[in-house]
Amino acid sequence: MSAETSTDHRDEAEVSAEQARDGRIAVRLWAFIRPYRVLFALCMLLLPVASALSLLQPHLIQLAIDNHFVPRKEEGLGLLVLAFAATILAEFFLRYAQIYLMELAGQRALRDLRCAVFAHIQRLRIAYFHRNPVGRLMTRLTSDVDSLQEALSSGVVTIIGDLFTLAAIVVILLAKNWRLALVTFAVVPVLLGVSFVFRLLIRAAYRVLRTKIARLNADLQEAVTGMGVVQLFVHEEASKAAYDEVNRDHRDAAYKSIRWDAVLYAIVEMIGSIAIAGIIWWGAGEAVAGYATLGVLVAFVEYVQKFFIPIRDLSQKYAVVQSAMASAERLFELLDSTEIIEDAPDARPLDGFEDRIEFRNVWFTYTDEDNWVLRDVSFTIDKGERVAFCGHTGAGKTTIIGLLTRMYDIQRGQILVDGVDIRELRLRDLRRRFSVVLQDGFLFAGSLRDNIAMRAGEVDEARLREASAVVHLDRLIERYPQGFEHPVRERGVNLSSGERQLVTFARALAHRPDVLILDEATANVDTETEALVQAAVEALLQHQTSVVIAHRLSTIEKVDKIVVLHHGEVAESGSHAELLALGGLYARLVELQYTDPTRRGADA
Amino acid sequence: MSRNRQLLRYFVKSWPSFAAGGVALLATNLLALSIPRQIGAAVQHLRDAADTASIDVSAVESLAWTIAALALGAAVARVVSRVFIFNAGRQTEYRLRNELFAHLTRLDRAFFERSATGDLTSRVVNDVTFVRLMFGFGVLHVVNTAIAYVVVLSLMLSVSPKLTLYSLLPYPIIFFTVRLFTKAVYTRTQAVQAQLSAISARAQENLSGAMVVRAFAIQDRENDAFRALSDEYVERNLALARVRGALMPYMGVIGGLGMLIVLWLGGLETIREGITLGEYIEFSAYIVTLAWPTMAMGWVLSMWHRGTAAFDRLGVILDAKPSVAPPATGALHLPAISATSGEIQFEGVSLTYEDGTEALRGVDLTIAAGTTVAIVGRTGGGKTSLVHLVARMRDPTAGRVLLDGVDLRDVDPVEVRGEIGYVPQDPFLFSMTVEDNIRLGERPGSGLTVDDAVRIAGLSDDVEILSNGLQTLVGERGVTLSGGQKQRVTIARAVMRAPRVLVLDDALASVDTRTERRILDELAAVMKGRTSLVVTHRFSALELVDEIVVVDEGRVAERGSHEALLALGGIYAGLHRRQQMEEEA
Ligand SMILES: Nc1ncnc2c1ncn2[C@@H]1O[C@H](COP(=O)(O)OP(=O)(O)OP(=O)(O)O)[C@@H](O)[C@H]1O
Ligand SMILES: Nc1ncnc2c1ncn2[C@@H]1O[C@H](COP(=O)(O)OP(=O)(O)OP(=O)(O)O)[C@@H](O)[C@H]1O
Ligand SMILES: [Mg+2]
Repeated sequence: MSAETSTDHRDEAEVSAEQARDGRIAVRLWAFIRPYRVLFALCMLLLPVASALSLLQPHLIQLAIDNHFVPRKEEGLGLLVLAFAATILAEFFLRYAQIYLMELAGQRALRDLRCAVFAHIQRLRIAYFHRNPVGRLMTRLTSDVDSLQEALSSGVVTIIGDLFTLAAIVVILLAKNWRLALVTFAVVPVLLGVSFVFRLLIRAAYRVLRTKIARLNADLQEAVTGMGVVQLFVHEEASKAAYDEVNRDHRDAAYKSIRWDAVLYAIVEMIGSIAIAGIIWWGAGEAVAGYATLGVLVAFVEYVQKFFIPIRDLSQKYAVVQSAMASAERLFELLDSTEIIEDAPDARPLDGFEDRIEFRNVWFTYTDEDNWVLRDVSFTIDKGERVAFCGHTGAGKTTIIGLLTRMYDIQRGQILVDGVDIRELRLRDLRRRFSVVLQDGFLFAGSLRDNIAMRAGEVDEARLREASAVVHLDRLIERYPQGFEHPVRERGVNLSSGERQLVTFARALAHRPDVLILDEATANVDTETEALVQAAVEALLQHQTSVVIAHRLSTIEKVDKIVVLHHGEVAESGSHAELLALGGLYARLVELQYTDPTRRGADA
Repeated sequence: MSRNRQLLRYFVKSWPSFAAGGVALLATNLLALSIPRQIGAAVQHLRDAADTASIDVSAVESLAWTIAALALGAAVARVVSRVFIFNAGRQTEYRLRNELFAHLTRLDRAFFERSATGDLTSRVVNDVTFVRLMFGFGVLHVVNTAIAYVVVLSLMLSVSPKLTLYSLLPYPIIFFTVRLFTKAVYTRTQAVQAQLSAISARAQENLSGAMVVRAFAIQDRENDAFRALSDEYVERNLALARVRGALMPYMGVIGGLGMLIVLWLGGLETIREGITLGEYIEFSAYIVTLAWPTMAMGWVLSMWHRGTAAFDRLGVILDAKPSVAPPATGALHLPAISATSGEIQFEGVSLTYEDGTEALRGVDLTIAAGTTVAIVGRTGGGKTSLVHLVARMRDPTAGRVLLDGVDLRDVDPVEVRGEIGYVPQDPFLFSMTVEDNIRLGERPGSGLTVDDAVRIAGLSDDVEILSNGLQTLVGERGVTLSGGQKQRVTIARAVMRAPRVLVLDDALASVDTRTERRILDELAAVMKGRTSLVVTHRFSALELVDEIVVVDEGRVAERGSHEALLALGGIYAGLHRRQQMEEEA
């Protein structure tokens, strides 16, 4: 628990850095509150009015006593009663309005924040997701935003009102008797000191708590998605134990925050009462010495009691604020993460693909330069050409596709589309030139239609039917009573793996890309369907530029060019015939397939 | 068990903490309430002194000390009470989450297919939070409010029972009206939480499909959808705020009405000398203090109903019954493993999914112990559904599946799975190291080490390339491995078991031919005398099998050796012809 130890040894520079950071967070939160500032201001105005009304009620009782009960006069009392009823009603409406407006403003401001965070996540590069578990990001989007929400609805904004009340009382006290006032204020440095120390403690506790809850969610989310595997390998007990550990950590972190909250709240309460005791004690002496009249002293005690009400309120909101700040820190950290692949300021549009794609001496690594995944890779893909990549598993085939669609940026060399470095192109334009069938076909929960069409309005009904027919999905879709509206479950779990691949294939086709990219697109599909699909695709998309990765070499023999990758390097490239003649790696791979016993059996 | 009984159970589990906290809270209130009295005494003293113009400093000083001492005592009691009660809330939360998790591990595949991951996690995370607040803050405020009522009411009663009665006149209204509020709080809370679940589910999908989202550049669509869900969330929250926000001010009105009646009726009586003026004045001072606990009661009510609404949402998980479960009585055991074990029989097995898809229709099939059988067939034919049954990922809707002569439903699923090495069609890895992922399959007495498994699965070369070898972290679902590497880790994991039955569901689809051949050779050695079921689309894998079973449209369409099936000229011959055509074209 590094967060704790670091707070113990925090020096002044760090403390002021911390304050500066709080300031920055506040400024940034303001950006989200600003659009609703009128609503917030209204809330802040309503609150004192409502309080004033509730103060009016004792006054009305006072009037009744003085004007009616003492002189025993009945007439006119009805009017007072009516006035009293009016204050009750007015107070109801004011308070209700205040609560509702606060909710309205808060909810909207935080919706904006939530959407901003989500939108930012959409811009993050894919590598970010390899390091940050989904569950952690989910925590940001839900419970961190909710913790800010809680702060807003619990009336953090009214703190400003509390501060005004405080200032007013301070002025009154000073005017009444500055010496006594100073005695009273002697507790202020103590209060400040206490809240300062506790701010650090409470904030540290909440920081740990936020980390733990994110961890808890990440573990839960992973366990839920992998429950099938957990059960297959009879790992229920172990995974329960692991979850229990994280859960316990989270609870213990919460215990710590509860402790500091409770101590702070109790101390502030105590200081209030002790200050009053101090005034009584000191004031008595003052009175004896004649510096203060006793009347002033009585008034003082009463004012000081009032003085501590807002302070107590503040201390109660303190924990909520600290929790919210800890969440805000995390949210802004995420919003600030620069792991985005962004368009260059002068990025060029790319309306179509005209000529050729070129990899020029590309070097790439996912981690560091000791672990190159691609080394000095060069090749070209001409318009209308069909290019296949093959090589052993882990050779870097999928990686090349990731680079082409700029999921990752390369370390050395250049990738050019029509002679322009892809880093100078508009990312969206670039990606829309390609349609990719990824190795693990990902489907969204929703209808089959949505999964194939993806972006509303871009794929019409005819295209949809055509694409599904080409990949032989029509048979399946006919079986469903709802046809294209058949609901697909999360990740497509209610389809067979082959069917899933065919859906992603249809998706790629329906978008009529300039370049079709197939990464093991039919690996889980039977050979018959595969052959039919292949033939149909060829018929549909003549002269389609395409990039194909396949382990079943039989499926790529007919392409124009085969690039053989070996340990991240281009070992050889050329047509099927050329490579066979070369007698290198490819020839050996093919030979292996030709020793296929079933094939021999058939030949015999 | 009814919900309230269930809640009570959680309460009882933490009763020592709640009790200790309650006692401390009582002490806090008593001490804190006596401070104003001391201050009052001191002020009175000063007033008297002002009248007589002389002051007894030592008496005032002792009062000051008393106040300070009381303040200190109250502070200590306050810390104790809050720590105990809030900790008990957290303890309940901890317990509830563990129970939810434990129950999730018992639920079957069908449940997880039905549910959205984001929805489940949202329930465990967000709904449990509301239950915790009900237990923590709820209890704190119930006690506080109750004490405040008792104190204030007893003070009021001591002044004038009659006025007290007047002031309580409006309270019965609460019983008739408050139900309207609380019911709405309940249903609207559920609506809010359901929407939060929807947001979570959407975000969860977007995040796990990050690659597709980027590849198809559908960020705008995603942003719009998320925004729409968030807008709806705001609307539902506001709908909730309209009732929840009214509850406290409404209770304020009830309290206010009490005062009004006292002012009106009590006032008249004072004028007509039913009660003395002094009584009235004192009474009116107390009645103002009654307003606070009344408002707080509204708060407690809304917290309770929000908590129960959230708790009831947990029922989706807690009340779900796994359809694959150990037999209620007299579980049988699989016979001990012998020279040849692993006979699998399907007897009239049918499987219909919840949406009505008939994946298997009366499959009769016996797989002899110790053989290697390939299962082939067209996409969607039912191969995966068939092998799922072997590991009891599901139970058949009709017929039965026997392993070494025992109906699987008579055996604890845990025991069955312990005997099976299963490589699923979609490789799933946990975000741990490669080694830990492989060790998941570890079984005492299997006699295999991680290194053996790595070699058998053909991973040795890859492990050398990986940045940290076996200690490389693989990321969620194994994203930082190549497709073929992922598959082979899952093979290594299954092999680690040295299982009675090994199931490979299209497990070599992302592996090149050479590696595939090597793995199959190694597996043949390990699986000698055991049964292997190899689902595959590749003919190159059929070299080592004893028999080929063709599954089509949920039935066993053909079975036999490669040659026999070719001679039959059916589905298998068709599949094979296609592949040949490809190769020769
Ligand atoms: N996100 C990542 N982070 C780190 N390393 C990675 C990542 N993705 C892939 N690698 C590594 O890069 C190498 C090449 O992976 P790639 O997915 O390109 O292989 P491939 O040729 O497509 O293999 P396969 O045929 O098995 O799909 C592998 O060794 C893999 O472990
Ligand atoms: N959970 C599910 N709910 C509803 N239908 C399902 C579910 N899982 C599979 N199906 C359907 O049942 C049929 C058989 O599916 P199964 O996964 O067994 O096929 P398969 O033979 O393994 O296919 P593949 O070769 O593509 O892996 C398919 O039509 C599929 O759509
Ligand atoms: Mg399958």
